[in-house]
Amino acid sequence: MTTFLYGLVLQFKLDKRSKSLLVTYYVVPLIFFLLMGGIFTSIMPNMKETLVQSMIVMGVSMGAFLGYPHALAQTYGSDIKKVYQANGVSLSFGLITMFLSAFIHLMLMCSVIVFLAPVLFEAQRPERLPLFYAALAIYLSASLSVGSALGLIVKNQAKLTMTGQLLFLPSIMLSGIMFPAELLPNILNTIGQIFPAHWGYRFMQVGGFQIQNLWYLLVILILASIVCGLLVKKQKFE
Amino acid sequence: MNEAIKVTNLRKSYGEQVVLKGIDLSIAAGETFALLGVNGAGKTTALECIEGLRKYDSGNIQVNGKMGIQLQSSSLPAHIKPLEAVQLFAKWNNAAVDNTMLEMLGIQDIKKKQYTQLSTGQKRRLHLALALINNPDIVFLDEPTAGLDVQGRASLHEQIRLLKSQGKTIVLASHDMAEVEALCDRIAVLNHGEIVFCGTADELTETMGKKYFIHIKTSQGGQTVETDNIGDTLLSLLAELKANDLELLDIKVDRGTLEEHFLEIARRNNK
Repeated sequence: MTTFLYGLVLQFKLDKRSKSLLVTYYVVPLIFFLLMGGIFTSIMPNMKETLVQSMIVMGVSMGAFLGYPHALAQTYGSDIKKVYQANGVSLSFGLITMFLSAFIHLMLMCSVIVFLAPVLFEAQRPERLPLFYAALAIYLSASLSVGSALGLIVKNQAKLTMTGQLLFLPSIMLSGIMFPAELLPNILNTIGQIFPAHWGYRFMQVGGFQIQNLWYLLVILILASIVCGLLVKKQKFE
Repeated sequence: MNEAIKVTNLRKSYGEQVVLKGIDLSIAAGETFALLGVNGAGKTTALECIEGLRKYDSGNIQVNGKMGIQLQSSSLPAHIKPLEAVQLFAKWNNAAVDNTMLEMLGIQDIKKKQYTQLSTGQKRRLHLALALINNPDIVFLDEPTAGLDVQGRASLHEQIRLLKSQGKTIVLASHDMAEVEALCDRIAVLNHGEIVFCGTADELTETMGKKYFIHIKTSQGGQTVETDNIGDTLLSLLAELKANDLELLDIKVDRGTLEEHFLEIARRNNK
């Protein structure tokens, strides 16, 4: 257990030292929040009710699909994986510590939004914080599990950037965080429902903590976890 | 012989390409053993099969003792610091950090740098430290001095001699003949997936026949003469110099370097 904790704390420190993760976990989501928070709440005052959830979906999607998979691919698509294996470090160790470290960093970023949005933009604060954070944790885990599968499957950094964008852009455009998803053509609305962002956004809203918003996130989380487990096992003798 | 490693009929293919064609090896405990071969001969594949990092098609591998492995191409997370890596790997191996070893490998001097800021030599030293973290009985070193400058090589050779003096079995893959000749007790030459020679450097020289090389330098330049009859060739060379009134500046006789023998073996087996 102490080994695992040491590894987790070390991974958290390594992520802090990484400029690219700093940008995707904190800088861009928070700048986006500051800009869009001002714009959205000026032109659409009723956005204040969902600003926190919208900006969190944007930040989580960016971190989970554009930042985290690259960090994972740097380990599992390189000689680092072999050095771990050769020196007795479990192959799943990197995946678990990186997942948890990303989870903590993104939780911190989300917390900044939760506490700054009402102060800066008079946005509505989530009513029941424990329930809100539980919903956020499930949504974040589902998104990171998809990011994990992405980072383990696509090892080429250029391809990973493109594939990450294929998940990120529909997540923010079709999930309903920019404008109501109901206004989208049916086909785009249906496509939007493939992504965890659609469900996470609803799940975190006031009164949204319900099974109909939860089940899809759990399915995604379980399926992606199984895929990741198989991918790590397959990598053992690659 | 107390065997540290025994490999029997090891076979490995990548698709259609047969990389190891049934190799047999026996390495004694405490021995420094070199696996020689040109690039693509199968050295790294053979080592990785023995280390348990690669699946093999058939054969038997027996390793008696704890292993420490330095890979040919190694890497660590970009922002990790040397002592953090040492601590992490020590914890995973349930081993105490040996500060004397870290001191000797110069890890303390680079402790504030991140991995990407280390030079090639510093990275090699760090990976050697990681390989030694669990106080292994058998140390695998795959091209340990590749990319190092003269000073870095000398320093690493010193470390390898120290490990040998501690009774560790060392398995070295290399294509640096001078390194192998200076450090190893026995050599196996791997060519196209087969062991074409296994023995000491002297035995390798013997197998090449009684061939001598006479290097002479005169006022008109130098030349090398290859012969199996050193007495007659020397006498006739000196007579020729006298007849042509050439001044002899230097003369050297040797039995060929390990490198020349290795290349000869590779050439013979490529025919």
